[in-house]
Amino acid sequence: MTPIDYLQFVLAPQVVNGLALGVAVVLVALGLTIIFGMLDVINMSHGEFYAIGAYAALALAAAGIGFWFLLVLVPVLMVPLGMAAERLLIRPVFDSKDRHVTTLLVTFGLGLIVEDVLKIIFGANTQRPPTPIPGATEILGIILPNYRLFLILIGAAIVLAVAYVVYRTRLGAMVRAAAFDRNMAASLGVPVSLVYAGTFAFGVGLAGLAGVLLAPIYSVFPTMGRDFILLAFTVVIVGGMGSIWGAVVAGLLLTQVQALASLVISPVWTDPIVFGTMVAFLMFRPQGLFGRLGHA
Amino acid sequence: MITPVLDIRDLGISFGGLKAVDQVSFQAQRHKITTVIGPNGAGKSTLFNLISGALKPHRGQVMIDGVDMTGAAPEHTKAAGLSRSFQITSLFPELTVAENIRLAAQVLETARRAFLPISRSARAMSKTSQMLERFQLTHRRDELAGNLSHGDQRRLEIAVCLASEPKILLLDEPTQGMSHGDTADTAKLVRSLTEDVTVLLIEHDIGLVMDLSDYVVVMHQGRKLAEGHPDVVRADPAVQAAYFGHH
Amino acid sequence: MHDRLTQSMRASHLLALLFVLVSIGLAAMGAATGDTFYLRLGTEALIFAGLALSVDLLLGYSGALSLGQALYFGIGAYVSALTLMKVPSFWLAMGAALAATLVAAIIGGLIANRVRGVYFALITFGLAQVMAKVVYNTRELGASDGMIGIPVIEIGLGPFSVSAANPAGFFLLVLAFIMGLYALTAYLLDTPFGRVLTALKANERRVPFLGYSVWQARMAAYVLAGLIAGLSGALYPMLRGFVSPELMFFATSGNAVISVVLGGVGTLIGAIYGSVLLVILKSIIGSWTEHHLIVIGLLFMLCVMFLPKGLAGLVRPRIEVLLNRRTQTPPASAEPAGLSPIAVKSGSVS
Repeated sequence: MTPIDYLQFVLAPQVVNGLALGVAVVLVALGLTIIFGMLDVINMSHGEFYAIGAYAALALAAAGIGFWFLLVLVPVLMVPLGMAAERLLIRPVFDSKDRHVTTLLVTFGLGLIVEDVLKIIFGANTQRPPTPIPGATEILGIILPNYRLFLILIGAAIVLAVAYVVYRTRLGAMVRAAAFDRNMAASLGVPVSLVYAGTFAFGVGLAGLAGVLLAPIYSVFPTMGRDFILLAFTVVIVGGMGSIWGAVVAGLLLTQVQALASLVISPVWTDPIVFGTMVAFLMFRPQGLFGRLGHA
Repeated sequence: MITPVLDIRDLGISFGGLKAVDQVSFQAQRHKITTVIGPNGAGKSTLFNLISGALKPHRGQVMIDGVDMTGAAPEHTKAAGLSRSFQITSLFPELTVAENIRLAAQVLETARRAFLPISRSARAMSKTSQMLERFQLTHRRDELAGNLSHGDQRRLEIAVCLASEPKILLLDEPTQGMSHGDTADTAKLVRSLTEDVTVLLIEHDIGLVMDLSDYVVVMHQGRKLAEGHPDVVRADPAVQAAYFGHH
Repeated sequence: MHDRLTQSMRASHLLALLFVLVSIGLAAMGAATGDTFYLRLGTEALIFAGLALSVDLLLGYSGALSLGQALYFGIGAYVSALTLMKVPSFWLAMGAALAATLVAAIIGGLIANRVRGVYFALITFGLAQVMAKVVYNTRELGASDGMIGIPVIEIGLGPFSVSAANPAGFFLLVLAFIMGLYALTAYLLDTPFGRVLTALKANERRVPFLGYSVWQARMAAYVLAGLIAGLSGALYPMLRGFVSPELMFFATSGNAVISVVLGGVGTLIGAIYGSVLLVILKSIIGSWTEHHLIVIGLLFMLCVMFLPKGLAGLVRPRIEVLLNRRTQTPPASAEPAGLSPIAVKSGSVS
């Protein structure tokens, strides 16, 4: 194999696949990091919300609803679910002495339940929805599946939209104010409790959207959230908990490291490398690459 | 010449260009009450943090009983004989009143006892009872510290500091938030402490300071403005302008 | 002079005694009916109770949530398995597991204790995950299949000897061992050393100003917890004859956390009851549906939200009241605190 062939048939597809995975991870990590940055809550059930999104897409598609409509419908349907979870589970323990640990444990319990409920409703088998955009495109002699290209583009669009909402709108400013100082924000007329519920629901909606988008590539099964969430957590930590840009940079970087490591070393060693990176960051730079949202 | 029990030499720290404490020097004499006063933001609490090891000074020295303890960790300044209270009460709210004191008193025991049941630490136990009585907390001994009234918590905080038999006691606004009657009781209490320890005090109540203190150090914008006997300090025009002028 | 923490622990000890008596009774019944399955299941529950005990030491006393305690459990299990395959000696296997987990816990502690709170939870999780994946990929350790064919051993205890293949005998041995770990932990927590650990949870920032090194105390708690987990794990291959990377996975650490929360955080004995309860829940619910996670998840959530001291929190205060009534000469009615001998004495003085 000539170096050019290696580049064209091995390295480049690996990099592009890594990029698609990176966008996928960023989408899942985005909700996670927003919920942490704004609410100071480690949402251990985030992976399960992602799975709910994927299953909802699957069920609604079977009912005849088209993929494009699902991209809007599923996240919207997830919002009341997120609101309910925040009201019933997070709010009651939000002011407990050790909020981090308590909310982590509560959402961990929720994750167990959701996973089992999905198993009861949909069965334990892996299902794979058809690719909404079939075919492939050849760019510079590299053959790339269309749907992955679409994923990369829409992923970028979603990240930009979220960053715009959080950093540039009045709504985002209210949310950041509430995250920075709850009492001060309340005295300025920010409806803090609604903002908290809304932020949590927003993060959950993002997880649902990620579920819809990623189901055609990574398949749908009840424990799908569990495997993915570990990577997403790593991304959130390396990027800096609560930082949107951190999640993007860390997500893309880590998945490239993963893609290249699986090529150069061996696919089985990618997990230790990724988690090792997480441990190293926690040791030497626990604030991650980019500090923290609302606490700049 | 007698070594002063606490000798602060040219102490300084700055936070991002702001000199929070700058060139502060003074000495605290054994079994006396030395009070640090000054308007809000004068650097009094920062000074306490520098002396007790909560912060490392950028320059200067802290000598405790003739030993250089500059920049030593809090557990080491504690071992050198310095005990401190906090402006915002810092107790173990989920532990009982007695356990709060006993935890502080168990440093009096030998290292060997660290791995024997606490009931065998006779010295720590009797010290605890003694402190409970002296601070009139015996009837509250089994209550959780977090459930005490504000005044009782402030007293417990002093009891905790004293239980380890320190040489120097740093009290950061012990009367903060207290009623008038409680303040007077606390003043009496602080005066009685000098039998055993040297007291370094931060206090806002000027009347109290003048009655209680043997020596006053006035701070203003991170620097020492004046020091001396309360009457001398009160008469100092610079102090009047900077401090009393505000009241 | 009485001490409230000591008194609470006496209630735990009573529950521990009850646990031991019921266990011995059940073991006798099992042995009489020739049961193997339930005795082995019970033994496994006890082994995992040791892991839960270590989680409670960290979470309930020093206030640190470990999401990767299975790391030390797994290291203990693998080292014990490797030793047993070379030399089938109980004491050698336990010694080797102790030494290996000691080293691992010191290294892990140096890493994990750089951070606290939720970061501590995540770093312990990450450490366990890295190690589990390394084991999963190491052919010499059996990779994803784990190691099978660990010989059945005879455990010499002075003049007696118990075979690990004897269900009732090995159950009792594990019971004695795990309850020994419980007793040791409870003892240490009632010493000045242990009380500094509880101070960490109550208000870590105040601890250095009392003269204690926070870092040393956190390290001590972490290493101690690692040793307890490792020694418990060392028993696992003796029971099952194999080890697999699953022992280090998050599911194992997570189960230990669930056990502690169900049983009661910060009660020690709660961890042991919780582990047994978890196994019972799994096998009872599991006998009519495979969806036991819903029930366990729900119970877990309810405990976190409404019963922060778990089941022990329901039972223990009542036992405490009973114990106090017995030890204090005047009946403890309105204000038990005011009736202690010292309080009465001071009352008459002032």
